[in-house]
This record gives sequence, structure tokens and C-alpha cells, in this order.
Amino acid sequence: MDAAVRVRGLVKDYGRTRALHGLDLDVRRGEVLGLLGPNGAGKSTTLRVLLDLLRPTAGSVEVLGRSPQEGGAALRARIGYLPGELALPPRVTAGRHLGHLAALRGDGTAARVPALAERFGLDLRRPLGTLSKGNRQKVGIVQAFAPAPELLVLDEPTSGLDPLLQRELRLLVGEARDAGATVLLSSHALDEVEEVAGRVAMVRAGLVVDVDAVGALRARAGQHVRLEFAAPVDRAAFAGLPGVEEVVVEGAVLTCLLRGTPDALLRAAAPRTVVRWSAQDRELEELFLDLYRGRATPAGTPPAAAVGGPPAGVRP
Amino acid sequence: MTAPAGTVLGGELAARRRTLALWCLSLAAVTVLYTSFYPSVGGSKADALLANLPADVVTALGFDDLGTAAGYVSSTVFSLLGAVLTLVCTIGLGAGLVAGAEEDGTLELELAAPVSRSRVYLERLALLWLAAAALATTVVVVLGVLALALDLDLTPGRLAAAGLALALFGGALGTVALGLGAATGRRAVALAGGAALAVLGYVLAYVGPLVDGAGWVRHLSPYDWYIGAEPLATGVDERGGALLVALAVLAGALGLVVFRRRDLLAQR
Repeated sequence: MDAAVRVRGLVKDYGRTRALHGLDLDVRRGEVLGLLGPNGAGKSTTLRVLLDLLRPTAGSVEVLGRSPQEGGAALRARIGYLPGELALPPRVTAGRHLGHLAALRGDGTAARVPALAERFGLDLRRPLGTLSKGNRQKVGIVQAFAPAPELLVLDEPTSGLDPLLQRELRLLVGEARDAGATVLLSSHALDEVEEVAGRVAMVRAGLVVDVDAVGALRARAGQHVRLEFAAPVDRAAFAGLPGVEEVVVEGAVLTCLLRGTPDALLRAAAPRTVVRWSAQDRELEELFLDLYRGRATPAGTPPAAAVGGPPAGVRP
Repeated sequence: MTAPAGTVLGGELAARRRTLALWCLSLAAVTVLYTSFYPSVGGSKADALLANLPADVVTALGFDDLGTAAGYVSSTVFSLLGAVLTLVCTIGLGAGLVAGAEEDGTLELELAAPVSRSRVYLERLALLWLAAAALATTVVVVLGVLALALDLDLTPGRLAAAGLALALFGGALGTVALGLGAATGRRAVALAGGAALAVLGYVLAYVGPLVDGAGWVRHLSPYDWYIGAEPLATGVDERGGALLVALAVLAGALGLVVFRRRDLLAQR
């Protein structure tokens, strides 16, 4: 029972369109897991299945040890949810709506609303229809966190927030985790997830194609290395070194992609005179693109299963 | 902890009370307008007027009996604009409460809250019936006051019977819209279904009897169940009322069964 969320072979069809193709996902209790993928990859569909808004076509889903459908209202009492496309009744004030949602919880939720609203600078007296996108998102965040739930399911939580509030949200997620909550959040941008999540599950075309710790993904993503020598060098001396890929030599300048330790590369460079050098972490975004292209296939996953045809809207 | 009973209903009521009050107000205005004309056009004057019209036209318009206060009020307020206003309100409300909220997405947070789908549905249905009751009560109270002021021959018992019929009629057709909307998730389907049934009912009730040998079709009409027995003149119509209740139970149950089973907010 150390899994907060356990999804096996989840298939979801909308009519004739298959949105999820047998998705597997494990979220451990007490962790922050980022669900990462482009729009249309199936992130929101997966999260809505956890909330029992959608019913699986096939596969098994357990949330806090229960199936969402059987767990019903009692299970949802333990979950805080922020929808990806938050819709709010326009004529009701923020305070009244949050009060209504808190009343549906019937516990100490209402008491926590004012402090959260103040923290995010949300004016509770204004009608929801007059709020900006960022302010509406604040309403969504407040209603998700106010119940102090065991599991937080946040679909694109930072959308519409300015950088300052994004930071505040990351702090809030960290606090929830420190208090023992499990957080599952989705995003289409790596940097949003990177700072807050311990692990990242990459979703593409209805499948989780890779799950790893953020640090390990970073290491696997590698570094862009640029070495400038005093004199032109021979590409053959560097190509084929362990962990060194994409070697390009233009006169005295060598660039390559380094995965793993730099030892072999440094030894090969040492006999020559190095004038300048730089090494830059690749954005995880690039690793993501690797996955799209079918390279850097995670160990144990057959390439064909992990990366089928190119997903709609994404050009390698 | 799951939501205390009535929370869903309370939230919807708070959000819609102003609109509902306006509907009641306009219904009261229409009732006053029609009824206050009775002393000047009703009674023998109306009979003289209608004598110039073909009998079929008089029947199709529902103006068979304008000579008495009960007949006049029944033909004007209950058969025409009062019924139309009530239906527009309850069918619109029924379509909006579930399908409308699902289409615009406002239902999502409530469905994600610790409240069952059945409660989300049934408490909204309860609000619909509260609205139908409020509309009918408005008409009854306004007519009661006018009856005293204008010395009309409308007894409280008959007024209550007509009010009950109006509440059942509006509630039943609103439930059809709500059930259709909950089953399909589409407001347009809910509105079209409710409105089509109302229009079809009217046609069956008034036009059917004009066709030779087709008089029986009016018995299929919810409109006929509502006012065919003239509750304002004859008191409670148990058969018509029971049929309206049956229609509501059927539509409400069908909507609930599908709503509990299907994917929600999948069309967003």
C-alpha cells in the first residue's frame, strides 16, 4: 500500500478515438510526480479517470488503494483536484464559490480558504466573471489545496500564473509534500515540473514512455560540451569515446553531446592545448525531443512500443 | 467526509435565486395583466365576441369557455402565457442545471468533490421542482388576491388544484429536459427535447380533436394531462396529475441511470 496511484494498462476511448493506449503509472505516497507531455498526449484524460469523471475502457486504476468508481465520494474527499480547463460560474463571487466548494467537503476546509486566498492575493469579493485568467487560476489553486487532501491532482497548475505566483505555487506544493501529501501534477513544460517534482513521467500519445528521477533524467539528458583548442584537431580522436555523441569538429572547435562522466573526453583532450571550454546542461526538453525521435530509448522499453509514429502536432 | 445533504441544492439556489425571482415576477405580471381585463371583456361580452368566430378556431385557441371567471382565467393564464412562461423557465432550467453546467465546465469541480453523481443529479432535480412549485405558487397567490379584489368566482380549493397542475406540468417537462441533458451532456438536446414535447403536446391536445376519429390522440398529450380536465373549474385531476408524475419519474430515472454510468465532461 505504498502506492498513492497505481495505473495498469489504462485504455480510454472517446467514441472511435483512442486517447490512452495502455498507460502505466505509479505514484508513490509522499512524492511529487510530474506528468509531462505535449497537449493531447493524454495527461488530462488520465487525471480525469483518477477523479472518476471518466471511466476506463480497459485496464485497472487504484487511487489511495481503491478504484475511483468504487471509492466514490468518500475517496474524492481525500483528493484535491485542479482541472486543466477551469470553468467557474461568472456571476458568483470568488468567496461564495469557494465557500460552496468548501461546504461540499463538510470539514475544516472553509477555515483554510482565507489564508490561502491572501497568500495568492485573491480578492474574494469579486464576481468570478470579472477575474483575469491568472486570478481564476488562483481560485482553482485555493479550492484544491484548502481541503489539505492526502492526494493533490493538479492539471497544468501554473497555467496563467505570473513567475512570482508560480514560485508561490511551487512552495505550496513543497509544503504539501512536507506535510505528507502526494502530489501528481501535469505540465507540457519541463522547467515547470523540474523544480518541484522528484520524478517525472513522460507521456506521449497515450502512453507513459519514460519514468525517472529528475536528476537521473538530467544526467541522461547530458551536456552540450564545447572545446576550443590552440590548433585544429582530428575528429577521429574523439568520435567513438564512451559517452560522447554527435561530435562535430570545425577547425579548432569541437562540440559534442556528453552523457555520463566526462573522464574519457578530458583524457582525449588533455594532450592538446585547450583554449576555452564550456559545458551546458541540456534542457530536459531536448531529451523529450530525443524520445519523440526514437533515440535515447529508456532501458527495458522496446523502441517500437515506446515510440510509435510521430504524435499529431509534433514534428521531429 | 462527504458533503452534507442539500449542499448542492443550496449552491445552485444561491447562484440562481435572482433569475428565479425574476421569472416569478414576470409570471405575476402576466397573471395580473390578463385577469384584470376580465371584468371588461369577460362574461357575456366574450361570448358575443366569440360567436363571430368559427367553432373550430375557438377550440384551437382554447377559448371555449370565456364566460366564467374560471373559464377565462384558465383559458388565458393557465392555458396560454402562464403555461408558456412556466415551461420556458423550467425547461431552460432543466437543460441548464446539468447539461448546461457540464457543457460550460462549471460542473467539474462539484463532480470532483466528495459528493456522489446521484446527489449532484438529484439535488439539481429537487431545485427544478422547487422552482416549478414557486412559479405555480406565485400564480395561485396573485390570483387569490385578484379574486378578492375583483370579486371573481375562484375558490381557494380550485385555485390550489390548478396551481398543483401547473407545478406538475412545468416540473415534468423540466424534468424531461434535465434528464435528457444529463443523459447526453448536451444543452441543445435537452432544450429541443423539452420544447418539442411541449409543442407536440399542445398540438395533440387542440388540433387532434378537430380531426374526425382522432380525438383520442389528445390523451397522449402532457398538455391535456395538465389542463384537459379544467382543474380551475372542476378541482384536482388525479389522472392527469398521475400521468405527469409518471412522465417525470420516467424521464428523471432514465437521466439518472445514464448520468451515473457515462463519461462526464468528455466533450470538453
